[in-house]
Amino acid sequence: MMAEKLKKILPQIVFVGIVIIAWQVLYRLQIWPELLFPSVGSIGRSFVDGFTQNNFGGAILYSLELLARGLLLGIALSLVLSSLAMVSKSIYAVYNMLVSVFDLIPGVALFPVAILWFGTGESTIIFIVVHSVIWPMSRNVIDGFSSIPKIYIEAGENIGLSGLNLVRSVYLPAAFPHIISGLKVGWARAWRGLMSAEMVFGATGAGAGIGFYIQYRRSFMDSAGLYASLIAIILIGVVVEYGVFRVIENRTIRKWGMVR
Amino acid sequence: MTTDDQKRPLLEVRHISKHYDNQLTTDAPIIGDLSLVVNDQDFLCILGPSGCGKTTLLRCIASFENYQGEILVDGQVVSKPGSDRIVVFQDFNQLFPWKTVARNVQDPLKRRGIKDKQERERIADTYLEKVGLLDYRDYYPHQLSGGMKQRVAIAKALALHPRIVLMDEPFASLDAMTRKSIQAELLQIKEKEEMTVIFITHNIQEAIMLGNRIMVMGRGGNVLEDMENPLPKPATPACEGFSALWDHFTQLLDQSQ
Ligand SMILES: Nc1ncnc2c1ncn2[C@@H]1O[C@H](COP(=O)(O)OP(=O)(O)OP(=O)(O)O)[C@@H](O)[C@H]1O
Ligand SMILES: [Mg+2]
Repeated sequence: MMAEKLKKILPQIVFVGIVIIAWQVLYRLQIWPELLFPSVGSIGRSFVDGFTQNNFGGAILYSLELLARGLLLGIALSLVLSSLAMVSKSIYAVYNMLVSVFDLIPGVALFPVAILWFGTGESTIIFIVVHSVIWPMSRNVIDGFSSIPKIYIEAGENIGLSGLNLVRSVYLPAAFPHIISGLKVGWARAWRGLMSAEMVFGATGAGAGIGFYIQYRRSFMDSAGLYASLIAIILIGVVVEYGVFRVIENRTIRKWGMVR
Repeated sequence: MTTDDQKRPLLEVRHISKHYDNQLTTDAPIIGDLSLVVNDQDFLCILGPSGCGKTTLLRCIASFENYQGEILVDGQVVSKPGSDRIVVFQDFNQLFPWKTVARNVQDPLKRRGIKDKQERERIADTYLEKVGLLDYRDYYPHQLSGGMKQRVAIAKALALHPRIVLMDEPFASLDAMTRKSIQAELLQIKEKEEMTVIFITHNIQEAIMLGNRIMVMGRGGNVLEDMENPLPKPATPACEGFSALWDHFTQLLDQSQ
């Protein structure tokens, strides 16, 4: 079992190994100055120092907490609004249009407006996170709802379900594969939106998250620290993908035979 | 119960005609002008060539389609699907894949107002046992064969004790032995629960054995035959008159092709 899993991810491990070795070789060749291209060792050290000395862990937790608040709000809103869109044709028409339109606006472009409304504090960051997650998530949920096999809906109506009861008992679980892909897209967009918001604001008003930490490293010309932060961002992404989404998938749609 | 009771009309189909929206308007309607009265506790078997509109008729009765004409249950016009007319679909994938076999049967019982979870479990297990699938209660539908899924759907429908159960070739994919035992269960449950059954089948023998009424549908939803089954229950191929009846239906179906 364990050996099988290892075998599956072996190519990925080998690839990461090659990248690290290639990096170190390039560093040794001294093509670029140390400031642009620090050694693997100093990046690693900076990574560890970040946690032991510069409260990088605190920054990460702060960012994750903001993210969680925005994500939960965005997910809840998109589920509620998409469900309402299933109950009424007019709501569907309007909401479908809103989703298509607002999905086109990058979070960064909303900053000036958001700052006008909410100032440069946590509210603006949460606003940006909600914006990044709600539209792609709603798109997936709505598309998921409309691709549910008719027979599940009829089977639900047949036992007397209707309206929001039908949405809750049939639409939501039947569209779960789409909902999960919506969550994945939503989380990735939200994570990026959060980073950009934090970078823009730095420490003004809002507390110190990962974006702020990166700015801070930059002000010290600590390039190893910058790379270390990028690695941390990637690692968090990997943990969410495999530790959260994979687990949810395995316990739901994969167990139900709704995906391979 | 008296015979008078049994003769009370429960379902009335009054001059319905059905034309699918995506059909060419020049095409003849799937169902032209069909009227049908099903009495309380009837077991109506419907025979007919493939594509003649049997499923369409069933879907109209279940209010899954719109149509011209009226359908009444207990004297009331029906327009929305409801648990008084439970359907066992022709499609294998009618169970919710996100629920176990047991939950697929139990959960609809909430709608029947059975608040006690243990009671729901008990009822579901009873019916799963009747279709021979109690051992599979914790499986998910995708882990079952087509015929097994169909049997769960039958258990689910019967557990709900609907007034009318609409079954669309429910036994089509079962082996002879399983089919026989489930036929017997169905007859028993029907008697005990005083249910009314409309049962589509391609199997003439099955129609004669199960139905107290047999209807033959032809192209365009024409009713070619609608008769009381003269054979007493349990009707078996050994009964006198069975083969004459069998010949009669074979001939009708031949002509309808
Ligand atoms: N959703 C639909 N849209 C358009 N036409 C349909 C639709 N469903 C069925 N039909 C048409 O209606 C006719 C009757 O179909 P129906 O499924 O009622 O037949 P059936 O008697 O149940 O056949 P079978 O014994 O093969 O199940 C067919 O000609 C079919 O093409
Ligand atoms: Mg059919």
